[in-house]
Amino acid sequence: MPSVTLMAEVIPALECRGLSSGYGEAVVIRHLDLVLRQGETLALLGKNGMGKSTLLKTVMGYLPALAGTVRLEGRTISGLPPQRIARQAVSYTPQDQALFPDLNVGDNLRLVVDDERALRTAVAHVGGYFPFIPDRLTQKAGTLSGGEQKMLLLARALISAPRVMLVDEITEGLQPSVVTRLVEVLRVEQRRLGFSLLIVEQNVRFALAVADRYAVLKQGEIADLGASADAGAETRIIDHLRL
Amino acid sequence: MTDHADHAAESPAAGTVAPPRGLAPGTLAARHPVALGTLLALGAVNVAPLVIDTYSVNVLVRSFLYAAVALTVDLLWGYTGILTFGQSAFFGIGAYALGLAFTHIGLTPAVAVLALAGAVVVAAAVAALTGWLAFGYGVSPIYVSVVTLVLPIVATQLVFSGGTFTGSSSGLSGFDTFELDLEDWFRLAGCGLVLATAAAWLFVRSDAGRVLVAIRENEQRCTYLGLRTARIKIALMIACGIVAAIAGYGYAAYTDVVAPELTGFVFGTELVIWVALGGRGTLLGPVVGTILIDLTSAYLSGSLPFIWQLLLGVAFVLVIVALPRGLLPVLAAGGRRFAGAAAGTRAAVLPNLVPLVPTPTAAPADAGASATPALRLRGVTRRYGSLQVLHDISFTAHAGELLSIVGPNGAGKSSLMRCIADGHERTGGTVDIAGHPIGRRNPEACVAFGVGRKFQAASVFDTLTVAECLRLARMRHEPPSLWRRAKTLRLPVSALQVAQATGLLEHSGEEARHLSHGLKQALELAMVLALEPTVLLLDEPTAGLTRPERQTIGTILSALTRDSGMCVLLVEHDLDFVREISSRVVVLHQGKLALDGTVAEVVGSDLVRTIYSGETHALGDAHG
Repeated sequence: MPSVTLMAEVIPALECRGLSSGYGEAVVIRHLDLVLRQGETLALLGKNGMGKSTLLKTVMGYLPALAGTVRLEGRTISGLPPQRIARQAVSYTPQDQALFPDLNVGDNLRLVVDDERALRTAVAHVGGYFPFIPDRLTQKAGTLSGGEQKMLLLARALISAPRVMLVDEITEGLQPSVVTRLVEVLRVEQRRLGFSLLIVEQNVRFALAVADRYAVLKQGEIADLGASADAGAETRIIDHLRL
Repeated sequence: MTDHADHAAESPAAGTVAPPRGLAPGTLAARHPVALGTLLALGAVNVAPLVIDTYSVNVLVRSFLYAAVALTVDLLWGYTGILTFGQSAFFGIGAYALGLAFTHIGLTPAVAVLALAGAVVVAAAVAALTGWLAFGYGVSPIYVSVVTLVLPIVATQLVFSGGTFTGSSSGLSGFDTFELDLEDWFRLAGCGLVLATAAAWLFVRSDAGRVLVAIRENEQRCTYLGLRTARIKIALMIACGIVAAIAGYGYAAYTDVVAPELTGFVFGTELVIWVALGGRGTLLGPVVGTILIDLTSAYLSGSLPFIWQLLLGVAFVLVIVALPRGLLPVLAAGGRRFAGAAAGTRAAVLPNLVPLVPTPTAAPADAGASATPALRLRGVTRRYGSLQVLHDISFTAHAGELLSIVGPNGAGKSSLMRCIADGHERTGGTVDIAGHPIGRRNPEACVAFGVGRKFQAASVFDTLTVAECLRLARMRHEPPSLWRRAKTLRLPVSALQVAQATGLLEHSGEEARHLSHGLKQALELAMVLALEPTVLLLDEPTAGLTRPERQTIGTILSALTRDSGMCVLLVEHDLDFVREISSRVVVLHQGKLALDGTVAEVVGSDLVRTIYSGETHALGDAHG
């Protein structure tokens, strides 16, 4: 990671301290401490219902934190509404449809750029990764296939030039060759834009290929944390998923 | 009156806290909260006229009748999501039936009965017509609000243009009507309201009542569970129209005045406001809200004639801003907190579990033995405007086959699934399910032919519990009770296995919106299996599940095709998964059927290798 300043090393991109969250009386995340370093990719893994998506929703302000704080580059953001968090260059790609289905592909992207010139540049750029986008700018996003919608969602997140990207199960429903391709796309874009990336994944192999570090969530707590390059990381994670 | 209000504040808490039979000592209140509440309320309305001053009694009779109409608005809007401004028209139909009959024919018992029957028949017919107009296939939900808004306007215009027959703008008055004491009117209207509320209360808490909420939450999923939602909504509109008409009949008989305002859309809108203020989706909220507002306005309109409307308007804005769910839910929450402090946290920990009973699936004899293919597609095409996503797709699939459909993103796999499960989807070609051409039929008709469809993005009922979602899926086989809840839930073994393997069973009392993404997928899969389909359409059923869970589901699906002779169509990207469980594979590429063969033939083919190898140019080709 070239040209990382001393400041950036000290202040994490995103930091959760003693974070608890949940729905109503069900506490899903318990006293969670988690640090996303500047410019790194961290993969959150774990079985269903262990709080991965809940964590992203809490960071983004869609769910109130019951206890603890979330800091974005040192500033406390817990308690802020989602739109104010988004305005600080945090992009969130949720699992469920987050596109505007009745807007066309171009308009869905237009929402995150300043003007037409920026849009043209951006479309040309993401078109290199996802060729269907420039071809189908006038098609309604709702009529894209499930996989294409996922790709468009990711393209929109990239175009918004985020500082921190939160991505929930982007590989779901994508054909294997596109998944392989995404590893490269995310790496290249991260080098270009310098964002820090927190991904939630079910596809362990993809997660380890993209991420510098991984964390396994179990019952809302971190059960394992390590570097993706560690020998035996995959086996350990799969064991966690089984138990 | 005070008894009535107390009952209103406490009953919802009693309703939700009521423990299952046998778990707690059975006091009457705990076992039959509705019966007890109804008896108390009936007692109150019978005693009240002896204690309350005459003016209030006089006003309250009217309030009770309005409240009965508000109750129907709550059923339609609060529970089923049909925002209606037209209940005043039905009230007017009842009122004018009596007014016209008594004015033009005179008061005899036969005329009174015939007028009531006429009111019921006309209200039912108008409701059926309104429903038929408003609930067509693919009609936007806002449309029903527009139709119901027009309805009272049309009704008022009819009254205006009726000349001396309808009394035009001055209405009808001074006709002979029933001779009853004020107290008896009060008791009659009060008991009617209490009984209507109790019936509605039982109904919305019954298994059938859950269907209303399911329609509000996710009508598409309802139709794909084989529920005829349009018919259900029309039936509800008819029932609500009849209740409103009877209330209107009572109003005309009591006041001896029938005016065009009774049918008007101002009254229709006021009903919506009263329901919103009281707390929609609570039944008691709208009832109590309507009574209190009408009574207060009767007093205040005398002392503050002009400013009263302004006060009511301000109160409405304040409540909507501060308490978007209305007054009752806030009072009830306060009551629960108070009760909770006294009784500990018993209510919170009581699990809402329903015993699950495995039920044998119907013998697949007819599906397996006959030579008719379970599914036959001929020349199916699908266009979205100028974009053609499916070109001339033809294939057949038989019982006992597990046919996987693979292809790059955007190849038309999900569109193909849609075309099989909904007759309106395809642009051309034919689809036969077990020999039945689906024609242009709705999804619920395709379900009746044996189709079960799981969507790509999990589609469940957010505010219903897991057990309730599964019960809805069983309603095709086990018609729900209109007034109570079944104690057990019977599920086919396959659905039970999915629920067990994915850990869904531990969440059976939880609302579906609190489930993780993977568990929602599992729930939807279990729901579709509970339908006992002969042709099962699965669009990426294991997306969002971990690998061990996928393997379990694969095993279950294999067993289903092998043992119960189901025909399964599976859209899937995980080639390993496809290889393990499929008996045949079809490749879709750019909307065309590119390959159809055994697993070995297809998986080894060049085309599939190009699509799945990860070579980047394949992506470009795929979207060419």
